[in-house]
Amino acid sequence: MEQIATVILDSTNAILVLMLVSLGLAIIFGLMNVINMAHGEFLMLGCYAMMELINLGVPFFMALALAPLVVAAIGLIAEELVIKRTYHRLIDTILATWGLALVLRQAMVLIYGPGSYAVSPPDVGSVVLFGEPYPVYRLIVMGISLATIIGTFAFFFGSRWGLAARAVIANRDMAACLGINTRRLDRMTFAFGSGLAGLAGAAMAPMISIDPNAGLGWVVPAFLSILVGGLGTVSGPLVGAAGVGGLDSVTAAFASPVWAQLVVFTAAILVIRVFPNGLVSRRRREA
Amino acid sequence: MMKLSSASIMGIAALLFFCALPAVVSSWVAADFGIYFVYAVFAVSLAFLWGHAGLLSLGHAVYFGIGAYAMSVVTLGMIPGLPGVRSMWLGLLAAVVLSGCAAALVGAFFFGGRRPLKGAFLGIVTLALAVVIERLAINSSFLGGMNGLMSVPPITLGLNGDGPEVTDTTVLYYLMLAILVAVILLMLKVEGSRFGKSLASVRENELRAATLGHDAARLKNRAFTLSGALAGLSGALFVAQFGFASPSLIGFALSADVLIWVALGGRNHVISAALGAITVRYLESRLSGAIGAAWPLFLGGLFILSVMLFPKGAFGEAIAWIDTFRKNRRAASGSEPPAA
Repeated sequence: MEQIATVILDSTNAILVLMLVSLGLAIIFGLMNVINMAHGEFLMLGCYAMMELINLGVPFFMALALAPLVVAAIGLIAEELVIKRTYHRLIDTILATWGLALVLRQAMVLIYGPGSYAVSPPDVGSVVLFGEPYPVYRLIVMGISLATIIGTFAFFFGSRWGLAARAVIANRDMAACLGINTRRLDRMTFAFGSGLAGLAGAAMAPMISIDPNAGLGWVVPAFLSILVGGLGTVSGPLVGAAGVGGLDSVTAAFASPVWAQLVVFTAAILVIRVFPNGLVSRRRREA
Repeated sequence: MMKLSSASIMGIAALLFFCALPAVVSSWVAADFGIYFVYAVFAVSLAFLWGHAGLLSLGHAVYFGIGAYAMSVVTLGMIPGLPGVRSMWLGLLAAVVLSGCAAALVGAFFFGGRRPLKGAFLGIVTLALAVVIERLAINSSFLGGMNGLMSVPPITLGLNGDGPEVTDTTVLYYLMLAILVAVILLMLKVEGSRFGKSLASVRENELRAATLGHDAARLKNRAFTLSGALAGLSGALFVAQFGFASPSLIGFALSADVLIWVALGGRNHVISAALGAITVRYLESRLSGAIGAAWPLFLGGLFILSVMLFPKGAFGEAIAWIDTFRKNRRAASGSEPPAA
C-alpha cells in the first residue's frame, strides 16, 4: 500500500514536469510552426543556470525564479539569430534547431567540461504521506509545475495576449491582417516556451545529475506527448504527457526502468499511427 | 555529343580526383577514405529518400545498424544453429535483405492505410523508433549489449569466410570507391526511371499524384525499402572495414550525423550528398585534432548557417551555380534560347 502511494506520487511528479516541458514545446509548435529539437537543451540550460546562480550565492528559491528568465533570454537570442530565418520551412526548423542543440550542448562541454555536477536540494525536509516519508521538495516541484500550467491556461484563455496568441494559432495570416503584431508574438512565444523548459530544468536540477546531455532524454518523450495528445489544442499535450509520463513511471516501478522507455515509445508510436491527429483533436485545416 | 547534367560534371570531376588521390596521400589516409566512401553510400540512401522521395527519416541509422549487426553475426559464425557458416557473401546478403525487410515493415506500417504519417510527424516517429531500436541493441546479450560485437573479420573473398582477405588499403580504397560509384549510378538510374518519376510526383503533390492514379503508399514504401536496403549494405561494408559493431551505429547519434552530412552536402542530388559525407568526415578527422572539442560546435554552427543561408547544401549550391553559368554561356553564344 505504502509502495503504491509512493509510485503514485512519483508518477505525478514525472507527469507534471513532462507536462511543463511538453507545454512549452507545443506552444512553440502551435503558434510558430517551429519544431524545436533544441527544447531539451533549454531544459539543460535551466539546470546550469540554476547551478551558476546558486554558486553566486543567490538563495535557492530566488534562483529558481531567476533561472527560467535567464533561459528565456537565451531563447530570445536564439530566436533572433536562427529561428526567425527558417519560418515557413517546417522541415528546416527541425534541421536548424537540431544544429542549435548541437551547439548548445557543445558550448556547455567547452565551458563546464563533459563531467556532471549536482545541486543540493533546499533543506525543506520530508513529510510523512500515507505512512511513508516523502521529500517535501518533490511536492514543491509538483506545486510549481501545477501552478505554472494553470497560469499558462489562465494567460491563454483570460488575457488579451492569450487571445492574440489563439488567433494566430487558428489563422496566422488573418490574425496579421487584423493588426496583431505576429513578429513580436513569435519572439515572446519562443522566449516563453524556452522559459518553461528552463523552469522544468531548474526545478529538476537537485534531482538529476547536471551534464551537457541532460536534455537529450526529454525531447523525444515531449514530442511523443504532443503528438499523442494532438496539436491545435492546449489540453492535447497535457493529456499526452499524462499518458507518456504515467506509463513510463508505472512501467519503471513495476517492471524495470530499462524497459520503460521501450514500452512507452512503442505504445506512443502505435497511438500516433492509429490517431494521427492525436487523442484530443480538433478539426484542423490541411496545411 | 551527349549533354551531361551539372551534377554529373561535378561527379565526374570528383571521381577523377578520388582516382588520383591514393598517389599523393599516405596509405593511412587512404584507409580512412575507404570508410568515408561507405558513409557516402549511407548518405546516398538518405538523400534518395529525403531529397527525391520527400520522406524525412530522422532515424536512418536503424537500417545502417541492422546491416552492420547482420554482417557481424554472420561473419563471426554466430548464426544460431549454423556455427560453421561465416561467409562474407552471406553476410552481405543478410545485411541487405534484413535491413530492406525492416524498412519495408516500417514503411508498410507508416505509409499504409487511410491516414499515412508524413512530413515532420514521420521524422519524429522515425526518431523515436531509432531510440527504441538502440535500446533493444543495448539490452540484447546476443548482440553483445553495450559493448557490441568485436573483432569482426575483414572482407574475405572465399565462399565461407576463407580465401584471400582484402586488407590492402589501396585495394580497399578502390573497391569502396567502385561500390560508391556503382550505387550512385544505380540510384541515378532509379531516379530517372518511371518509378523514380512517379515518386517525384508524389513528393511534389501527393494528392494530385494519387488522383492521377499513382499508388502513393506503395511508391513510398518501395522507396523506403530500397533506401533501407542500401543503408544496410553500407552498414555491412562499414563493419567489415572497421571491425566493430556497437549500439552507437544503430541509434540517435549516427542518425543525426548522416542527416548533417546530407544537409550540408545537398539533399537534392545523390552526388552532392555523397560528397557532403566524405567532406564532413574528412574535415572532422583533420580538424578534431587541431581544434579538439570545438569541432562539434563548429559543425553545429556550420549546419545552422547552411540551413539559413544555403539550404541546397554546399555542393548543391555549387551544382546550381554551374547550371546558371552553363545556361548563360549557351545563351551568350546564341546556340540555344536563354533560360527562362
